[in-house]
Amino acid sequence: MIDPLLALLVAFAVFGIFAVLFWPGKGIYAAYKKAKRNTSRVLIEDTLKHLYDYEERNVHSTLRSIAGHLSVSSDDATKLVQKLQSMGLVESGQDGIQLTSQGRSYALRVIRIHRLWERYLADETSVKETEWHLEAEEKEHNISIEEAETLAAQMGNPVFDPHGDPIPTKEGEIPKRKDISLSGLRSGEFGRITHIEDEPQAIYIQLVAQGLYPGMQVRIMDVGKNRIKFEVNGEECILAPLFAANVHVVPLLKQEDITSEFKSLSSLRKGEKAVVAGISKACRGPQRRRLMDLGIVPGTVVTVELESIGRDPVAYNIKGATIAIRKKNADQIYIHPKVGEPRAYKEFSQEELN
Amino acid sequence: MTKIQLNEKEKLIASANTLRWEIGESLHDSIIESIYTDAAKIANKVVKVKEQKKKYSYDQAIDRIVTSKWLGFPIMFLMLSVVFWVTIEGANVPSGLIANLLVDTLHPVLKDFASSIGTPSWLSGVLIDGAYLAMAWVISVMLPPMAIFFPLFTLLEDFGYLPRVAFNMDNLYRKVGAHGKQALTMTMGFGCNAAGIIATRIIDSPRERIIAIITNNFSLCNGRWPTQILIATIFIGGAVPAYLAGIVSAAAVVGIALLGIIFSLVVSWGLSKTILKGEASAFSLELPPYRPPRILRTLYTSLIDRTIFVLWRAVVFAVPAGIVIWLVANITIGGTSIAEHFTNWSDPFALLVGLNGVILLAYIIAIPANEIVVPTVLMLTVLVAGIAGVGSGDGVMFELDSVADTSAILHAGGWTVLTGINLMLFSLLHNPCSTTIYTIYKETKSIKWTVISSILPVMMGFAVCFFVTQVWRLIAS
Repeated sequence: MIDPLLALLVAFAVFGIFAVLFWPGKGIYAAYKKAKRNTSRVLIEDTLKHLYDYEERNVHSTLRSIAGHLSVSSDDATKLVQKLQSMGLVESGQDGIQLTSQGRSYALRVIRIHRLWERYLADETSVKETEWHLEAEEKEHNISIEEAETLAAQMGNPVFDPHGDPIPTKEGEIPKRKDISLSGLRSGEFGRITHIEDEPQAIYIQLVAQGLYPGMQVRIMDVGKNRIKFEVNGEECILAPLFAANVHVVPLLKQEDITSEFKSLSSLRKGEKAVVAGISKACRGPQRRRLMDLGIVPGTVVTVELESIGRDPVAYNIKGATIAIRKKNADQIYIHPKVGEPRAYKEFSQEELN
Repeated sequence: MTKIQLNEKEKLIASANTLRWEIGESLHDSIIESIYTDAAKIANKVVKVKEQKKKYSYDQAIDRIVTSKWLGFPIMFLMLSVVFWVTIEGANVPSGLIANLLVDTLHPVLKDFASSIGTPSWLSGVLIDGAYLAMAWVISVMLPPMAIFFPLFTLLEDFGYLPRVAFNMDNLYRKVGAHGKQALTMTMGFGCNAAGIIATRIIDSPRERIIAIITNNFSLCNGRWPTQILIATIFIGGAVPAYLAGIVSAAAVVGIALLGIIFSLVVSWGLSKTILKGEASAFSLELPPYRPPRILRTLYTSLIDRTIFVLWRAVVFAVPAGIVIWLVANITIGGTSIAEHFTNWSDPFALLVGLNGVILLAYIIAIPANEIVVPTVLMLTVLVAGIAGVGSGDGVMFELDSVADTSAILHAGGWTVLTGINLMLFSLLHNPCSTTIYTIYKETKSIKWTVISSILPVMMGFAVCFFVTQVWRLIAS
């Protein structure tokens, strides 16, 4: 009979070796897979994406920016650009390295796969939001365009990725940037600043002095012939139309900022009721569809019926059915603080209360 | 298609694309919202709602009790204990009757008939001692408990109580990444794993459903309870003073079942953190209104859909396995049967994990149903250890009425307390029976999940038995 101590030690050793080899993300096997990743296809495609990105932002790309972006030496970057030139994908002119039309359509194809895959991860899996981009960065080099098309068809040909960026079509079309100038908004509308034009400088200095920068939310209060009055981060601001034309915004739907205005369903206590205002964008994919199918749409009256031990899940009365929802999901459902407050819903929320 | 039409089509698609970009992402949401708004408007116009307050409050009153902080869990345990008690007590008598008819009476009659018409002994061995006996055994031990357990369970389901159990248990199951309804499929698994796996259809979230399917095997099913009780009585009960024997062996069996529940929770947690991390998941749980159970319909559906369905699958697998069982005991190579070859060959490994070759072989060839593991073990032990005067020949499964006689055979086969403990652990942690494996494949339509749910438990079984054995020997030496 084998000595039990020896047997135990051998078993632990075997287990340890397996762990070192196959530990998810950190094992030798995972490291090997990661190292194998930087193939020439990956480098080429990443360079094209980088060039496309700079082109979109109207910045000139150089060998140095490429080397920095891909974290390779500038020698390697030079070789890479030479290779791309010989393939007819880029050309270098006085404005730095630029994509040819062939190179642009290749870049768009990679971007299409990237954004499609992000959409897929967001809608059809439980992969975390923080991991979408990284996974798509890998996947974009590994699936063929045919596989991507099958995937797109399965998902009903989505046109936006989960971050709100448009997905290029398979013909390589992508919509022009959607932002408009601030003077294009009408009074009462919302927008988010995306871009502040730095030419001519005199105007730019004025705008910066007003404290405007990309990412701020604005609400137009009044559009006059000679001035545009708007609220930005709670402060009133006035610009001449000439100045306002140099600020670019994307119009926002009012729904999008429900986070700040409403309470969540999980804040209700037993017996309380409220009207649903909407479901947060963070709740997506099958879970979002499920909730909406159950009748959780703006205007629905929801009553807390039962609380389980530990208050998670909680059962709600939704359109006459008792449905238990976990706290995590209830946190993402926004409610109007009081029943009947929004006028549009008053009419039938009263009916349902009877 | 003419060229002009083609151009038109392309233009149309292009403009559709542009429009979709302009409309934005929230189109689906808006459509569902407007459907609900329109439906509500129409309903308000044309539907009159009757006063339903009374029925409603009756539902709420029950809900308040069965989900309450203090009474929720005790009621749940009480209900389930009653169901199990009725099943075990109620199944004894019909099981005995069927076994008496099919095994003790009909089997000799068939044998006599076969020899009277001059059937060669190998043929009657394969067909009657092998195929027929395996089938008879499976029917007699499987049918009665299932025919009692499933209707009772379905009645509770029909009444509306089971969703409340899922509601109570969800907090625990959420923490291990599973669905509250897994408490129900797990309980169903105590009746039969194959039925438990079919029951996972009630879990409508893909990830949680696969978790429930893979972990269902950790519920000690009907076919394994008798094994556990027998082995616990012989080895655990035999190791303590006589006045404690009953209670200690009962505690050991309950301990194994609880261990199974713990394993199912731990494995659920592990799966949801690793290989199933990325699978889609969505939670909601409907608590339907209570209603009087429709008893006749329940009886009919639970007997046809669950009992007969599962039993049929088991029989289909039992017949070929019965033939294999008979053959491995009767085909000889160089004067030794295949069974003995295998046990001799696998003994070193089997002893390392505290089992023996006979047990390994029994678990391989008795794969159609856990119910025939003990009869196969007994037959093989007699064969391998060369015990004379027990059983009815090589390849003929048997069971003994007396626990003491069974104990004598197993001890003669070289079993110790450690073997007994390991067999109990291995009976809990081994691959599902072939009926269950087939059902897993049918339900998941995926070879990957079928393989994982078959291999994972048996690997765990070997690992657990190995550590128990080595630690035991370390302490004992």
